[in-house]
Amino acid sequence: MKRLVLGVLVVFLLGTILGGVALAEEVTLTITWAAWAPMDTLIALAEDFTAKTGIKVKGDPVPWPQYHDKVFTEFASGKTSFDIVLPDSQWLGEAVVGGHLLDITDWFNEHVKKEDFYDTFIQSFCEYPDGSGKYYGVPALGDFFGMCYRTDLFNDPEEQKAFQEKYGYALQVPETWSQLKDIAEFFTRPEKNLYGVALWHAPIPTAGLTDEFLAVFWSFGAELWDPVTKRVKGYLNSEEGKAAARYWVDIYKYCPPGSANYSMDEANTAMQQGLVAMMGTYLAFYPGLVDPNLSLVWDKVDFFPTPREKEWYVQLGGQGMSISAYTPYKKEALMFLEWWLSPETQWKWAQAGMFSCMKPIVEDDKYLEYAPVNKVARASYPHLKDYWEIPEYNEMGTVMAEILNAAILGKYAPEEAMDLIAEKHEEILERAGYYK
Amino acid sequence: MDIRNTWANRVSDRGMLYLFLLPTFGLLLFLVIFPLIWSLYLSFCEYSANAANPPVFIGIQNYSSLFREKEVWDRFVTTGKFVLLAVAIEFLLGFGIAMLLNREFYGRGLLTTLFILPMMFSPAVVGKFFRFMMDTNWGIINYILGRLFGMPKIAWTTSYEYALYSLVITDVWIWTPFIVLLSLAGLSSVPRYLYEAADVDRASGWFKFRYITLPYVAPILILAVLFRTMDAFRFFDVVYVLTEGGPGYATQIIPFYIYKLAFSFWRTGRSCALAYVLLIIIIALSNIYITYLNRLRRA
Repeated sequence: MKRLVLGVLVVFLLGTILGGVALAEEVTLTITWAAWAPMDTLIALAEDFTAKTGIKVKGDPVPWPQYHDKVFTEFASGKTSFDIVLPDSQWLGEAVVGGHLLDITDWFNEHVKKEDFYDTFIQSFCEYPDGSGKYYGVPALGDFFGMCYRTDLFNDPEEQKAFQEKYGYALQVPETWSQLKDIAEFFTRPEKNLYGVALWHAPIPTAGLTDEFLAVFWSFGAELWDPVTKRVKGYLNSEEGKAAARYWVDIYKYCPPGSANYSMDEANTAMQQGLVAMMGTYLAFYPGLVDPNLSLVWDKVDFFPTPREKEWYVQLGGQGMSISAYTPYKKEALMFLEWWLSPETQWKWAQAGMFSCMKPIVEDDKYLEYAPVNKVARASYPHLKDYWEIPEYNEMGTVMAEILNAAILGKYAPEEAMDLIAEKHEEILERAGYYK
Repeated sequence: MDIRNTWANRVSDRGMLYLFLLPTFGLLLFLVIFPLIWSLYLSFCEYSANAANPPVFIGIQNYSSLFREKEVWDRFVTTGKFVLLAVAIEFLLGFGIAMLLNREFYGRGLLTTLFILPMMFSPAVVGKFFRFMMDTNWGIINYILGRLFGMPKIAWTTSYEYALYSLVITDVWIWTPFIVLLSLAGLSSVPRYLYEAADVDRASGWFKFRYITLPYVAPILILAVLFRTMDAFRFFDVVYVLTEGGPGYATQIIPFYIYKLAFSFWRTGRSCALAYVLLIIIIALSNIYITYLNRLRRA
């Protein structure tokens, strides 16, 4: 009897131990990203990864407005519920300086062919500080700020004739910001509930005014600071910077009334409801604009790159893919990154209508067939530019967004607004010790 | 077994009391007292919870710099305007509605339930509803005003003229029922025979209100206003959803600014200092109310 009990006990213990080992081997990687179409696509694609490796993958989507704060609150606690995160490019400095992202430099140098990607994606999504050769992520979504327009209005012969008569040149997709303003003015018809353009004016640093204003700012030939000394005065509030601010305040006249709080949802809705002739947004949001279930004008829209003025710069959006420094599954997360960068996965990503960061894919003509925005991506990528990636970016972006938001509503003159922003930016940089 | 020697018997009544209190006290210490003391310490430090560096003690610099900055004063003024307007309107409206509901009529129960419904919604959800309703172009409010009165579109949440009022309107919608509820409780405690006696003496309505109703309900009204004031100073979720602090920073009341400092800019030390300033203001105001309440009770 004793032997029988002992035998049962041994079998039970072995079962528990082996079962425990089996359970321990069952790894599930959690990926956090904004709650939007690219996240759904990534999680759907990850089934291939699971099929190949046995490692399960689940998504933890967070609404855009809460995304930054949720991720960094977890970082600050020193423990994250996710293993892989897709941070906005400007978060990189904040996350790296805080020690929250895994340094993958050695792995990166071994596995990533940098020449396969546009330089901006490597600099903005992977490397920190710029030129340091230290890598914390891989390119993921090559998003950028672009424009959407109503083809029915632009192609209407009556409209074309009237525009030609009024402005002396043909109505077509604008090549300069000045032309864009003319077109916005032309289509602003409050009595018909139609306005020229919807832009992001919300006084928030990410997915708000700062993102879209900077596309204008840089194309007007202005700079945020001296890249070496980090001095802001004389750069941000240069004549070019002030001209960009004047333009931004001026064009608000042709935006829908009350659009001073427009971010992605509001601007998209304005386009979907036929309220505006043009709209600026990060083009990864395009699926909602061509969806017959969501848009009244889904079959009457097309896309174009943000225009040039003195120069041509396009504001970078998008995210890289990084590993939380606090994950217990570093090896598995690196396996995921390797799978992600494989040409096979990248082609599937592109075929699903998502922006690839890989040059061979973007430059292949097949890529143009996968989404109506891909032609815009190809034209925009050589002109991409990103703003501050230092840890203080959020405060600097907020200052810019709040002051310019106040300027469009008449609280400050555009010139006064730029002087004030420059002053505040230097205060922030001084406090952070950049001028020692 | 000798029950006199059991462990339970050896513990005195006072010891048992402490034993029962211990878990609660431990939780309080861990969840309330420690964070309170730690955040007080951090308010005297240069510290970012998001960075790898430890806190550096800088004395009262966080506090002194707060009071030197115009932007912080602007936000205090905005907070003061918001609290004053919201609480005053809620008080007048809430008490008025309670007076109307405090009489017998058909459907009174249903109406009372309907009136207190808004209080049961999450403020964040209400904020989202009001954002839709107050939308300049598609909002139902502008639609009704336009159709009925031919009014032009009003930028409720995005103009300097109206943004703060949009917050006040939303707060009034959510929290007036709270005043209604407490006022009703107070009104129902007034003995009926006092009114009957006043009727016999042919007392006017104003006389009955001034000398019977008000003295009875005043203490509970003061309590209601106290709770609402404390709560209005902590108003955050609706601002976050409805105006995001804009236009510019025109509707950034102090709790919202503390959130931005703490979790957007990661200036933990400074945000703790501002949180303590707000706490002191709330305690001071509460003490004024409580002193007045005690005086009323004594009277």
